[in-house]
Amino acid sequence: MELYLDHAATTPLLPEVQEALTAAFAVYGNPSSLHRKGVEAEQRVEQARTQVMRALGVNGGRLVFTGGGTEANNLAIFGTLHRHGGRGRHVVTTQIEHPSVLECFRALARQGWEVTFVPPETDGTVRADRILSAVRPDTVLVSVMHVNNETGALLPVAEVAQGLRGKRTLFHVDGIQAFGKIPWAGRAAGADLYTLSGHKVGAPKGVGALYIRPGLEIDPLLYGGGQEHGLRSGTENTLGIMALGVAAERVASQAAAHWRQAEALCDLLVQGLSVIPGCVVQRPVVASPYIVSASFPGLRGEVLVHACEAQGLYVSTGSACSSKGPKAHDSHVLRAMGKPAADVQGTLRFSLGPQTTRADIEQALQIVREQTAWLSQQLRVRR
Amino acid sequence: MQHIVVRYGEMSLKGKNRSDFERLLLRNVRTALRPWPDARAERVSGRILVTLQETSLEPVLARLQRVFGVISLSPVTVTDLQLEAFQQAAIQLLREYESQHPDRSHPTFKIEVKRTNKRFPLRSPEIADEVGGACLRALRRWKVDVHHPDITVFLHIRDAEAHVYGRVVPGQGGMPAGSAGRAGLLLSGGIDSPVAGWLSMKRGVELEAIHFHSFPFTSERALQKVQTLAQTLADWGGKVTLHTVHFTEVQTAIRQHCPPPLYITVMRRMMLRIASALAQQHGLLALITGESLGQVASQTLESLHVINAVTRLPVLRPLIGSDKLEIIELARRIGTYETSILPYEDCCTLFVPPNPRTRPRLAETEAAEAKLAVDELVADAVARTTSQVFLAPEWA
Repeated sequence: MELYLDHAATTPLLPEVQEALTAAFAVYGNPSSLHRKGVEAEQRVEQARTQVMRALGVNGGRLVFTGGGTEANNLAIFGTLHRHGGRGRHVVTTQIEHPSVLECFRALARQGWEVTFVPPETDGTVRADRILSAVRPDTVLVSVMHVNNETGALLPVAEVAQGLRGKRTLFHVDGIQAFGKIPWAGRAAGADLYTLSGHKVGAPKGVGALYIRPGLEIDPLLYGGGQEHGLRSGTENTLGIMALGVAAERVASQAAAHWRQAEALCDLLVQGLSVIPGCVVQRPVVASPYIVSASFPGLRGEVLVHACEAQGLYVSTGSACSSKGPKAHDSHVLRAMGKPAADVQGTLRFSLGPQTTRADIEQALQIVREQTAWLSQQLRVRR
Repeated sequence: MQHIVVRYGEMSLKGKNRSDFERLLLRNVRTALRPWPDARAERVSGRILVTLQETSLEPVLARLQRVFGVISLSPVTVTDLQLEAFQQAAIQLLREYESQHPDRSHPTFKIEVKRTNKRFPLRSPEIADEVGGACLRALRRWKVDVHHPDITVFLHIRDAEAHVYGRVVPGQGGMPAGSAGRAGLLLSGGIDSPVAGWLSMKRGVELEAIHFHSFPFTSERALQKVQTLAQTLADWGGKVTLHTVHFTEVQTAIRQHCPPPLYITVMRRMMLRIASALAQQHGLLALITGESLGQVASQTLESLHVINAVTRLPVLRPLIGSDKLEIIELARRIGTYETSILPYEDCCTLFVPPNPRTRPRLAETEAAEAKLAVDELVADAVARTTSQVFLAPEWA
């Protein structure tokens, strides 16, 4: 039995994507080649560009395919500041961003930029007025995530975009956990720059994109042959891009229906978790139904993950990017929310996908109930 | 054609030990040379002579440096027993030095002669004079410096031929792999135990590593880390068998039935009991641990005494006198350090009570185990042990 509830970490390839990929193996041309093979590949890449922009719900502007979400975030932040850095010396972000945004701003702070990291409320959301009040006349860029990858918190990006209208400050939204889930996520956010990633929506790893609104110029990070509007040189990852196009079209067409379905499953999961002895559900007031975070004070997240895994249930501690390797540490998101250390240590993240069913959630709850009871007994944690 | 002389510690060995040593070392050198089909190794009076037809020297030297039992290595020129031949070879060596050190305007050298062939008509100092003189005549920039020469040209006059060389590369020393029988290494994912294993291998021990895995308290990645360590050790010693013991039930039973201050002591005793049973099953003559005296609470002499009481096998502790920094330095040199410091938890860190006993007594520990079904737990853990063999690439 395999019960995969770690879709915020990555998703299985969609069957349509697998099919399209198999067919695309034959399209080996370099989109930059003058001959027919090149044209054929170029057409596929452009088709994918259209598919992704439609899924974002945007008209006009440019879409730059990148090597993934992290690269798109880096391009958005550094590309904007390389081009428009002369406007000021101040930038704004939140304390709960993904490391691929947070570390960019930490690097900027080391380079002499003044950075405001806006704190979250105790429930994990960030208030728009807090973000907007941090903006000054010399603020060049504001970067805010659409959906938090650890708690599911939905951030008020549309309000921030509204508040910044008429100002020279540029606005970037990391939409990696929102794209394909929130219908027309790019349009909904209303940002100048919007990041998305392929492998969170059923495409393979190694492809992502940055949307740039019409009329905005930024500098590239990679220089070379001038591919992708000169913003991402290097021969295109044609297979990955085609796959992302197919996945985007697929998830966008059902985003609204899947969202409603996820809401029902999320309610079931939250209710089920909250009656497990010793379980504290961290539910932001406004949140994506696809991500649920719960802590089990006194237990260790890593051990819980392995205990669930032994029963076939795959979940994660915090975010997959920061839960192992030399940078493994407590969740910066939960810490920013002011959670006690013991709670942060025993945190599990459940993340649903469009394929998740009611039976999956019930079974997962059963496993979590049994495993936390067993571990509490082993570790003599009082409940 | 190029030659490498492989030296080994023949002085310390006598009789049958010596011939066994030489036979095993030659076998291991030949195995190490497998990736180079044109390389030949043969024994020539107290040395091994490696002959390379086309292969370049450096990769072979680097590989042979890792063969246990090798004291040192030198790339040599083999010549006839003719003075002119020695002179030519020496001049050639100095020319090579010149081309590698173009910045030296006046390099210095000395000649050192060893004459094991006493029938050769000239005595050592006379040979040195003749060869040194020829070098000075042929190479005008060079000078002799017998105290601090840039390069020493060694000339070994042997029965059938002479060896001329300028480089002596150190080996690992020790005894050939496989010369000392098999022993069980208690291998955790930490820094110490792989080093203890390596030191034992260096004395000829064939290792069977024993790892205690406590899923879900330790992760698959912690096991992968141990597998990587086993492979690194196998790259040195040729072959390492890894026995993975399913330890979860033992650990949870300890949590349930024993007083917290003695968790670690009882856990180490259970590990040694299981390791002893595996040793009996696999014909291992000793156990090896990475313990170093006083390093952590469980490594006091009192603690070692209580832990050791459960086995009659010799428990070898090659690191007993080492400081942590010495261990880390060796771990870096043998290539296990980078793996050992990967941050996955191993079972020792998870069940650590807040107040471990640093000086346990045997009687209280035995009392603490009263409720523990020791024999059943050991038998069950042994029955659920899986084994895996790791080989050096040239052994596979």
